[in-house]
Amino acid sequence: MRHLIRKLGFYVVALWAALTVNFAIPRMMPGDPVEIMLSKMGQKGPVTAETRKAIEALLGADSSRSLLAQYGDYLAGLARGDLGVSLVFFPAPVSTIIGQTLPWTIGLIGLATVISFLTGVGLGTVAGWKRGSWTDNLIPVTTMFQSVPYFWLALILLFVLGSVWPVFPLNGGYDVYNVTPGWNGPFLGSVLYYGTLPALTIIISSIGGWMLGMRNMMVATLSEDYMITAEAKGLRPRKIMIRYAARNAILPSVSGFAISLGFVVAGSIVTEAVFSYPGIGSALLQAVGGNDYALMQGIFLIITLSVLGANLLVDLLYSVVDPRIRTAP
Amino acid sequence: MKKTVAAAAAVMLALAGCSSSDGDAKPDAANSSITIFNGANGTIVENWNPFSPTQLQPTNGTMHEALFWYNVASEAPPQPMLGTAYQWNADGTELTITTREGVTWNDGKPFSAKDVAFTFDLIRRTKAINATGLDLKSSVAKDDKTAVLTFGTKSFTDEASIIGHTPIVPEHVWSAIDDPAKTINPNPVGTGPYKLKSFSSQSYVLEKNPSYWQPGKPQIQNVRYISLATADAASAALTAGQVDWMSSFLPGLDQLLKNHKDLSYVNTPVLTASIFTCSSTAYGCSGPQTDTAVRQAIYHALNRDQLNKLAGGGYAGVASPTLLLPERDKKWITDPTQVTVPGTPDVAKANQILDAAGWAKGGDGIRAKDGQRLSLTIQTVTGWSDFISLNDAMGQQLKEAGIELKPTQLSWNEWNNNQVQGRYQLSLDSIGLGANSNPYHTYQAKYATVTTAKVGEAAQTSGNFARYSNPVVDAALDIAGGTNDEAAQKEQYTIIQKEIVRDLPYIPIYVNSLLTEFNTSRATGWPTNDNKYALPASWKIWDNGIVLANLQPAK
Repeated sequence: MRHLIRKLGFYVVALWAALTVNFAIPRMMPGDPVEIMLSKMGQKGPVTAETRKAIEALLGADSSRSLLAQYGDYLAGLARGDLGVSLVFFPAPVSTIIGQTLPWTIGLIGLATVISFLTGVGLGTVAGWKRGSWTDNLIPVTTMFQSVPYFWLALILLFVLGSVWPVFPLNGGYDVYNVTPGWNGPFLGSVLYYGTLPALTIIISSIGGWMLGMRNMMVATLSEDYMITAEAKGLRPRKIMIRYAARNAILPSVSGFAISLGFVVAGSIVTEAVFSYPGIGSALLQAVGGNDYALMQGIFLIITLSVLGANLLVDLLYSVVDPRIRTAP
Repeated sequence: MKKTVAAAAAVMLALAGCSSSDGDAKPDAANSSITIFNGANGTIVENWNPFSPTQLQPTNGTMHEALFWYNVASEAPPQPMLGTAYQWNADGTELTITTREGVTWNDGKPFSAKDVAFTFDLIRRTKAINATGLDLKSSVAKDDKTAVLTFGTKSFTDEASIIGHTPIVPEHVWSAIDDPAKTINPNPVGTGPYKLKSFSSQSYVLEKNPSYWQPGKPQIQNVRYISLATADAASAALTAGQVDWMSSFLPGLDQLLKNHKDLSYVNTPVLTASIFTCSSTAYGCSGPQTDTAVRQAIYHALNRDQLNKLAGGGYAGVASPTLLLPERDKKWITDPTQVTVPGTPDVAKANQILDAAGWAKGGDGIRAKDGQRLSLTIQTVTGWSDFISLNDAMGQQLKEAGIELKPTQLSWNEWNNNQVQGRYQLSLDSIGLGANSNPYHTYQAKYATVTTAKVGEAAQTSGNFARYSNPVVDAALDIAGGTNDEAAQKEQYTIIQKEIVRDLPYIPIYVNSLLTEFNTSRATGWPTNDNKYALPASWKIWDNGIVLANLQPAK
């Protein structure tokens, strides 16, 4: 119990530090939001000096408020669950934008990460158990895909499978022409179809690491004395592989998995840009382009929470997988 | 292994062929449909408020209309839309508008001058939607087809904003809206050719307004807008036949179109690419570009034909040193020698100007004066590939006159901030569109003292970033703004043109190409290079409604 409370205390401090950084970083960017909105309007049509007054009146932008007061408002707003109003998508609240985009990102990148982890660890276990089999040959291939820059791999796959052989769609999250969003079969099918290629690129480019790490840990674990004991007891090989070897070998991979789960939200920007996928990464790009502090803070908050949350989860999971953690002083 | 992949690909191909068959179906008027990419990227957030700066682009022009419409692609008088005539009093403080009869809102209620009076009264009452700062005193409807606006000051120069850029909204809907600046107007009621059919965060569909006041228009049943992340995605969608109308610069366009019989394009250059210079030491600028001789030498040393080939893809138009458009604004340019910029360089003249001004060539071929080298930094935005190539090519060309050019690339925000604050030497940018083709809007914004500020303070948006201040120009602008007599205005513009052609705070390069691509397999009647009946750019407001109303389903 003390272990748990100490952990939670640490997470509260980390959260506060992260929130403060979220507040500070967007404000160090050049330009101010009103000016950027005006300049973008100026490219499409005429703007005058009075347009500025209208926009300031509209946004309620009060540049005279001190940073400290803004910081107080920000923390108070967060405590109420109020993330503020987006400027780029004015007058939509930040929470609406996040609610609209986050499911796409979690669905695509989250699932792809889980699939990649499970497949990679599974293949790694087999490769470590049966060294020299065909699975060993997969390792150089998959690590090569991992070392190729992701955006390049994604573009090539999109070009080959979207343009040359149009097996997969070129862009978007679903077929906007023929299906209506909602809990209906055609829509869900379309989402799966449109998500396959982006998910495939993520899996291909990340599976190598899981596989290599797991295989090497398996090899190290197999040389332990308790493995020989297990074999000497006459346990079935399958049981030895999973309950004795894999369970011990997987520990480093689990913490790696936690970190990559945390970055599901943050790591989606490139994927979403290449595939025109409607997730939170593209919303973040637009927020940065428009100096939209509120939206940036909101998205950073989600990223922070997901990283901290994933870490906490794994900390707890660790004590389940590895009993030594629970009793450690 | 290979075989199975090929087989799988073949199966998928067949499936893909089936699912996309609706795109190839024979179009007919009842279910004709086109798809537009207007530059939207990422998630789309609903906002049909015609007064909001974050409105979705079809809100104005396609759903809501103004009293008149200005075609900035050609020199033409304002075209009557919801208004049929307008008349100023002699002082420019009272504007009488005659409105069109027989127009209905798309909810079936009749439109009248009362709606016009209500709209302007709403603007008078609500500071946050008064984007052009109209000094309205009152707005009343005399009868069902006459609205009278009165102003506190002489307002001739606001004419284009009032009649051409103010969306008219229905009184019976907007009188019930509490905060007209912050509503997203979820059920838009307008008089335009299209109305909202369905919305999702990735795409929305407009359908034809069956009771549109122009008989027989529009003919296309549904118009779909989509969001794409990058220019690559857009060009892929265009060649795959998924997009019917978009505006972006595609390298190798002619070759691309040769392979796709259904695609065509139109080029409407209207934005003049120019070197912005921080020109005035009195306003805090520093560097060699504050010397008029240096700006003149750059003007003469540029090889613009070569720049068009290297950076403009050969699609750019010829600019005018008066910063107007040579073709469209012919009648406003007085000096026939200043209609167009030279295509070929005159390095001898550039050298002569610099020699006379005391810039002497140093050992490294770069000139210097009083220990200051003639070396200039020029900023542009990361990823603006045509402007980046312009900078590189200009660097080569200016070296021959002994001028060193150092290109830098910045993020859009930083680049824009530098221009607004005046913290730059040279900056590559374009001269934006005015409210109409009267030169007043360009000259007032770019050359007037009131639209600039000292270095370190913000100049007006799209304003006088060059920190140019000239009492002769200011006086001429005052007179031109106080009248709506074109002959009197032209007299003043002659004075202004003489000053700015000499001082060159903005050095024109060429008029950027503005390429718009069409797919003619589903709809025809698009603007062409010979018939620019509207500015066809898919991101333009107002003009899009005109284009959509004129389209016909392909036979």
